[in-house]
Amino acid sequence: MLFKTITKENFKKMVEGLLEENEVIGPRSRDQDLGGNKIYRFLKINSFEELEMDYTRSYSSPKNYFLPFEEDLATYRLNDKDWEQEIRYTIHPRVIIGMRACDINALLKLDQVMLKSVYPNPYYFARRRNTLIIGLDHEPLEDCFCRSMNTDTVFHGFGLFLTDIGDRYFVAINSDTAYIILNQFDAREVTEEDQERYKTVKKQIESKFKTQVDITILPELMDLEFESEIWKKWGHKCLSCGSCAMVCPTCYCYGIEEDTNLTFTKATKRRFLYSCNLLDFAAVARGHNFRPDAHIRLKYRYYHKFRGFVEAFSQSLCVGCNRCGKACLAGISPKAVIDDLIKTEKK
Amino acid sequence: MKYLGITLERPKIGVFDFTGCEGCQLQIANKEEDLKDLFDLVEIVNFREISSDRREDYEIAFIDGCITTDSEVARLKKIRKQAGILVAMGACACLGGVNNLRSRFSLSDVIREVYDRHHINTGPVRKVADVVHVDIELPGCPISKPEFEWLVRHLVLGIEPQFPKYPVCVECKQRLNSCVLDMGLMCLGPVTRAGCNAVCPRNRLGCWGCRGPSEEANFESLIEILREKGFTEEHIAERVKFFNAFSGVLNSDR
Amino acid sequence: MNLKIPKHDINLEPFMVGPPDFNRQTVLMQTERGFKSEVVNIVKLTAIEKLFQIRISEPCERENFTFLPGQFVMLELPGCGEVPISISSSPSNREFIGLCIRKVGKVTGMLHRSEPGAMVGIRGPFGTYFPMQKMVGRNILLIAGGLGIAPLRSPIYWVNEHRSEYKDITILYGVKEPGQILFDYQFEEWRKIYDLNLLTIVQNPDENWKERVGLITDLFEDISIDPENTFAIVCGPPVMFKFICTYLANIGIPRQRMFISLERRMHCGMGKCCRCIVGSTFTCLDGPVFDYWTVMNLKEAI
Repeated sequence: MLFKTITKENFKKMVEGLLEENEVIGPRSRDQDLGGNKIYRFLKINSFEELEMDYTRSYSSPKNYFLPFEEDLATYRLNDKDWEQEIRYTIHPRVIIGMRACDINALLKLDQVMLKSVYPNPYYFARRRNTLIIGLDHEPLEDCFCRSMNTDTVFHGFGLFLTDIGDRYFVAINSDTAYIILNQFDAREVTEEDQERYKTVKKQIESKFKTQVDITILPELMDLEFESEIWKKWGHKCLSCGSCAMVCPTCYCYGIEEDTNLTFTKATKRRFLYSCNLLDFAAVARGHNFRPDAHIRLKYRYYHKFRGFVEAFSQSLCVGCNRCGKACLAGISPKAVIDDLIKTEKK
Repeated sequence: MKYLGITLERPKIGVFDFTGCEGCQLQIANKEEDLKDLFDLVEIVNFREISSDRREDYEIAFIDGCITTDSEVARLKKIRKQAGILVAMGACACLGGVNNLRSRFSLSDVIREVYDRHHINTGPVRKVADVVHVDIELPGCPISKPEFEWLVRHLVLGIEPQFPKYPVCVECKQRLNSCVLDMGLMCLGPVTRAGCNAVCPRNRLGCWGCRGPSEEANFESLIEILREKGFTEEHIAERVKFFNAFSGVLNSDR
Repeated sequence: MNLKIPKHDINLEPFMVGPPDFNRQTVLMQTERGFKSEVVNIVKLTAIEKLFQIRISEPCERENFTFLPGQFVMLELPGCGEVPISISSSPSNREFIGLCIRKVGKVTGMLHRSEPGAMVGIRGPFGTYFPMQKMVGRNILLIAGGLGIAPLRSPIYWVNEHRSEYKDITILYGVKEPGQILFDYQFEEWRKIYDLNLLTIVQNPDENWKERVGLITDLFEDISIDPENTFAIVCGPPVMFKFICTYLANIGIPRQRMFISLERRMHCGMGKCCRCIVGSTFTCLDGPVFDYWTVMNLKEAI
């Protein structure tokens, strides 16, 4: 991998330049929670000043810029008994600034499903191909457990990845497009001093992880504790509201619905992000529901994340961002649930 | 009109107002640019707000408002007899709605307060389903025109409409709204049927439950959460009872 | 300065040209491109089931479309929705696809109202198939409950077309009431021409019913099974699998030689939407045809 550094001054110029030519998405705050903490989200930014490079964590992951919550897969022109199907993949070049290592790792996991497995997803592919990602390192928050999930560092899947080393960013470069852009802003070769500072910052980041989740035998535990009472305990609290899946950077389950206009001359086939926690996720036409209870649905979400995905791709489908834990009003977090599972096992 | 080679019948529709603000009827009349298409699809034979026709040969009846008087009961029963499909439309018809707020007081006090000494014939607030069998409930306060049109398409096709079973949170999160509960506001989104695009939380109001409960909603958990967040029992009751959507949820109801 | 993110327009890629081949799973990109097809014939089978004969309109798409017994297609009514349906015609029939469809929901309900000439969309084929090659030289026991006979028609056709390759073929078919029996107009042909043994049973007989009464498992009393040399194909409601497969396992048929077809809600057919996951297994990719050993290891499969 190539590394360079860029001054913060020049980085600002680069963002301003990118803003002139492209749509740029970045972390912005709009509201505050009760504790006075800013609530961040990834939104379109219009000026460098709107971009909050010191943000903590976005409430929702930026996955919707790759897998929109809703998208039209096909449209149809209907005419009496006949119809014509039309499919256009959205081509919308843009830049996303500020994605964390965990979020980029989340995309790499989605890549496994959407690009590298059978039946590649062209809609995802079109967005992925037309997005330049500029990642950003940060000091872990209290509840970040990406280190346990081995997603605290990232080596590909981005254009540039920035680490703040004082007055400059240490930049990992991973694509030609990004390389060309960076070089237009006096990016300089890494000096020995830069490298020392980078090492110090990285060590500091590493030393600040507070939350650990033990996933050593988690896949086996998911099977062994399939009938465990802990699922009922957490399921009892679960609101089956799907918030966890919506904010999650890797949840990709969806539903498809078709509808027509009022004159039955046009139809659309629409994909919408769903959640396996929602009541009718596994309901079939005759009314039978394969997962009728909240605790069973909750269990399956974990089962998919920590067992099913591991089986298919030798990695779990969780990046340890704890967004689901934060968004869950009922206080269901992966850390709490997994700790509980491990405790039950030890008894 | 034909769809996939199937000839579509043009059903005759009646829209009837009972006790309410008529806002739901207004929603149907709104979005004028679509009205022609709507009338091509269905024949409106009885709808006071938009037409002087008063035909009694409607096949589908939309009921706006709750039921409060004896004459309304009689009229509703008559409509039920005629209509093959009866749709309760909006929070008042589906739940009792805002009108139900008066049920907290004695009826005679309410009448005295509002009408002073004028004689007025009014009884307890009842939702449509308390009086006659309801085939379809179209929720919302007011109903949304797109959802109304969506329902009409289903009625024309003769397909049973499937309203979202999940709560408002799904749509709220999809619109990247900040969670108003995190911001200290009361919200019933986690137990209220989605389909409104989370319009209230989006405007930082919190959800009032106008679309009624989501299916198998976990009230117990939400009320526990609201208590933990420091909302008083009064505040919780005020919100939960507002549209009469969640009767029997609070212990104080039982 | 050159700061414009280069546009990669995949709409211009070579894969956009020509009909999609759903059998090339790893490179198929036009995943939502359906084959426009005409409903050429509709056969009413029972009060709630009809057989739809569907012909892909474009000759080159029709020629491309090949499937194996047990696979399914996603059948789409534009504007209404899409449903997974097992193919119940012969893989060698390249002119039309037979789909036996019960009226249960929105899409199937509309389809039941349609008339010959209606245009529908077909994507597929998807999923795993009954390994007919592995069964060469053996007996095959096909067991169907209710609508489960629909996916079995495809292997039945296959067996007939390759009759000399297989030994004894037995079909056990059970339904609740005589009026629910499907494809009875073919039974005589199956028995006489296909040279197979077909036994039927109903739970609630009417006065005209002359064959067995009881549960499908009762039919085991009427046949002899050579466990060493028999493969089983089982299709029907989930409760049936357990009883039948347990019985067959007890008499010595290896679980890897029993094949069942699972049914789940599917929205995509391509292992993406996750609606059909059983445990961690996608019914659409790893199924719908599974051997019983695999099913036994799936959480909450049946």
